[in-house]
Amino acid sequence: MADRTEDAAVRLTEYADLHGCSCKVGQSDLDDLLGEAGLTQSRDELLFGVGEDAAARKLTDDLALVSTVDFFTPIIDDPYDFGRVAACNAASDAFATGASDNLDCLVVLGLPQELTDVAPSVLAGIADAIDGMGGAVAGGHTIISPWPFAGGAVSATAPPDTLLTSQGASAGDRLYLTKPLGSQSAMGALRVSDDEFADVVADAAGRPINQIGDEALAWMTTPNRAAAIAGRDLATAATDITGFGLVGQAEVLADNSGVGVELTRLPVIAGTEGLSALFGYGLEDGASAETSGGLLLSVPAARSADLESRLDDAGVFYRQVGRVTDGSGVSLDEPTIEPISR
Amino acid sequence: MTRVDVSGEVCPRPALIVRRELSELEAGDRLLVRGDYPPAERNLCRMCRKRGFSVAKSEDGSDGDTFELTIEVTEDAEIPEA
Repeated sequence: MADRTEDAAVRLTEYADLHGCSCKVGQSDLDDLLGEAGLTQSRDELLFGVGEDAAARKLTDDLALVSTVDFFTPIIDDPYDFGRVAACNAASDAFATGASDNLDCLVVLGLPQELTDVAPSVLAGIADAIDGMGGAVAGGHTIISPWPFAGGAVSATAPPDTLLTSQGASAGDRLYLTKPLGSQSAMGALRVSDDEFADVVADAAGRPINQIGDEALAWMTTPNRAAAIAGRDLATAATDITGFGLVGQAEVLADNSGVGVELTRLPVIAGTEGLSALFGYGLEDGASAETSGGLLLSVPAARSADLESRLDDAGVFYRQVGRVTDGSGVSLDEPTIEPISR
Repeated sequence: MTRVDVSGEVCPRPALIVRRELSELEAGDRLLVRGDYPPAERNLCRMCRKRGFSVAKSEDGSDGDTFELTIEVTEDAEIPEA
């Protein structure tokens, strides 16, 4: 770790050893934890809950309340940008269920004592991001913590019959991803872009690191709201891509839906494929952690043209990245890696 | 055997430090890596194996978050340029 006292400017990422969604507890550890705590059973009073991106409760025949909480350690040094990414990531779990109305966010914030002066900037980033999604910051809770973290408890509503989970994918569905991958490699490169390895990192990227970082930030602060609305009544299942990476999230979808997933294409932020090879992050295997990634939408072939048309109209990035099979698990065999520039 | 300690280093620096060490080696050489950042172990194994190096985890030197890897430069290994 760098000597924090030498830096005049605050570098938030130096205050935590794990960054962004990389700090997420692994799927198998989480499964063990839920099992030990007796929290694996579905609850009659909920439409869905544990094991999904968010929980949903049916309030009336026309209205369901979706709630979720998500927070993580700094993925980026700038406090305002960290707030924006954290808010976007927290709301993404609600959007993955298709809920996009009446969005409220209760801020969850933890900062070391010596960093409390950045709190207004983090909060402003969260507030601006939530405002941009048509939502409201409705309160929150702030603590002193050795590692900084930020996020929120997000609630939103939707008609119950439009809600999506990871359980509805069917063989023959096409799988769409609504953001390119590579945020982990982009942010990792920024952390070493001014140290002794700057040259080798720049060579591996083949593009200016700052440009890759700016593009990654732009993707991480793009809300999944428009993608969620486009998928309404068309998708059969959805999840968002976070710390488990594309393959990890696809495994959750495959297991929960009782299907197989065949991944054939990996859109990546241009330059991150070379960075990942240098860092050993596994982007080319779909294994790298993503922070505030896109939605993975499972859509029957007959409806895919409608989905693409809606996504085009809404200006949402998308690629078909694979398909659902009647097998099990996830396969990724020499996928086409497509560099994406904004 | 060459040794490098990446304890206290956070990703992606362990991979970059190990890569620099590997660039000094030749086929048949071995590099012992010690570290204490859990994600680094997986990332180092992946980075090295993809380049054709052989990687073995030492159970003796691995305790809690601390890990110890022995990386061997095989005939097919793609040794990085310095």
